Amino acid sequence: MKKIFAILAVAALVAMVGCAKQAAPGSTVDDQQVAGAGQTQGSGGGTTGGSGVQSQGGSAMPAAPAAMERVYFDFDQYTLSADAKATLEGNAAYLMANKSVWVKIEGHCDERGSDEYNLALGEKRALAVMNYLVSLGVSKNRLSVISYGEERPLVAGSSEAAWAQNRRAEFVKN
Amino acid sequence: MRTLIVSLVLLIVSVSSAVAAEELTISAPGQQTLPLALTDFIPTPGQTPNPALMNEFQQILKYDLELSGLFELVNPDSFLGDAKRIGLRSVDVNFSEWRLLGADLVLKGTYRMDGDRLVIVPRLYDVPRQKLLYGVPVVGDRASIRNFAHELADKILEALTDETGPFKAKIAFINNSTGNKELYLMDTDGHGVVRLTAHGGIVLNPDFTPPPQREISFTSYKRGNPDLYRRELRSGVESVISRRSGLNIGGRFSPDGRRVALTQSQSGNTDIVIIGANGRGRTQITRHWGIDVDPSWSPDGKELAFVSDRRGNPHIFIVDDGGEKVRRLTFEGKYNATPAWSPKGDRIAFTRLENRRFDVYTIRPDGTDERRLTFGAGSKEHPRWSPDGRFLVYSNDVSGKKAIWIMRADGTGGRPIHTGQGVSQHPTWSTRW
Repeated sequence: MKKIFAILAVAALVAMVGCAKQAAPGSTVDDQQVAGAGQTQGSGGGTTGGSGVQSQGGSAMPAAPAAMERVYFDFDQYTLSADAKATLEGNAAYLMANKSVWVKIEGHCDERGSDEYNLALGEKRALAVMNYLVSLGVSKNRLSVISYGEERPLVAGSSEAAWAQNRRAEFVKN
Repeated sequence: MRTLIVSLVLLIVSVSSAVAAEELTISAPGQQTLPLALTDFIPTPGQTPNPALMNEFQQILKYDLELSGLFELVNPDSFLGDAKRIGLRSVDVNFSEWRLLGADLVLKGTYRMDGDRLVIVPRLYDVPRQKLLYGVPVVGDRASIRNFAHELADKILEALTDETGPFKAKIAFINNSTGNKELYLMDTDGHGVVRLTAHGGIVLNPDFTPPPQREISFTSYKRGNPDLYRRELRSGVESVISRRSGLNIGGRFSPDGRRVALTQSQSGNTDIVIIGANGRGRTQITRHWGIDVDPSWSPDGKELAFVSDRRGNPHIFIVDDGGEKVRRLTFEGKYNATPAWSPKGDRIAFTRLENRRFDVYTIRPDGTDERRLTFGAGSKEHPRWSPDGRFLVYSNDVSGKKAIWIMRADGTGGRPIHTGQGVSQHPTWSTRW
């Protein structure tokens, strides 16, 4: 899935750079479709499974995933892994295809580490994500960040598996 | 008073004659304990006894005095006739009885109701010298019995060491039993828990203003962003101290109460800043791409200890309050956090993450004499000093969830004081209440 996103994202970027003006009229329809799909997949949490890619049928349209996916980090790290970058490229494609979506990026940590340090680390993670999305062409105005440190774990528990899932950035539609 | 204490100590030395004199400082718990006879207070003639009330009083007093580590309580079963005699004047006390039991100190007392007011008259005697050390009556309504007991414990410590105790004070902490993290207040023995906030979100990391204000700062997400607030404890009125975009966390009032050190990240980087306690003015103290958090003032207000990952792993550093010079304090370990400068300035407590759990350490501000205070199961986090520097309050999750614990500054006597519902964390100790 991640590789597909990466490929699609690259394709999308090429398409946007190459023929942004030609693509513009069609993308309105695309916006509605994708926004509708996002709503049916649930709100509130904002992050959904990223269950698929909207196939546009035509060849010129940039394809985008149906939703933004969360990204994960290593312990005490806020650098983006190759996996995280691939996911973010998909998220960027989604945001490019859904111009009305404004997103709050939440940075989270696992329960290890001190609370204050993790608040800072969570913000570093959210900012790293935001900066990468901006570098992919997403307008900074549409993005904001907040850190919850270790206050909002995704899963309970003190196992390596739980920690790995909790070290993350989430995407919440504003 | 000091000469009295010295002579008292010397007397003990002459009896035991085992320890070198320079080691005998009564303010250092665990090194030398004084045998104290704690008698039941007696109703004055004509008064209806209220054993339940006085039993509560004695239990609190006993808890505090035992926790201080300064005393060894003489077994009440061994008490002779004088414990039941009402005579409080030194000529009335049968000192030879107490000397026989090996007590160096005896606390006697009476109580009576004066209308609605409870009057307790304590008498603390130096047995070898047959001298009154403390005897100021406490007067108030009977609902304040816990405060009376804590106050008397404080005064007994003061009579013996020239420095009052920290027991008649409050501990603020965070608890999530409502489903949200809110701010609470309790006595230093964990009684009288009161919830202060109802923000319905996340409240974190409280800090009391220095005396005489009774205000408390904390970070809350109540407007969505982690902002720093102050709250007047009597009225409950809250106002914003720092509400910049990004983090406004880890607020600590300067010793004079005029400034607040905290972590902000408006620039996209987390740095230590100092602002006015009213929120005005701003001096950036650290300028580094790394994470800088958890400032703690030196008691003279000239320096701040803080955590930074500027050398890779989180370590403790010290910076002057102008942000001119940064020096590294800790070199051991791979993850050091939450520094807390002692009120006397002589040590800095912090935590170190090793083998998946935190333990509490202290170190001198010059980086020497690092000592580990806690051992065994449980992650011990967020140490804060009592205002007299005799104790540390912290969280410990040895029971499976974080609870508030207390220990002596040398790491002995650790015990839970609040183990109620939910997770309890981020304790901080007020000055005299």
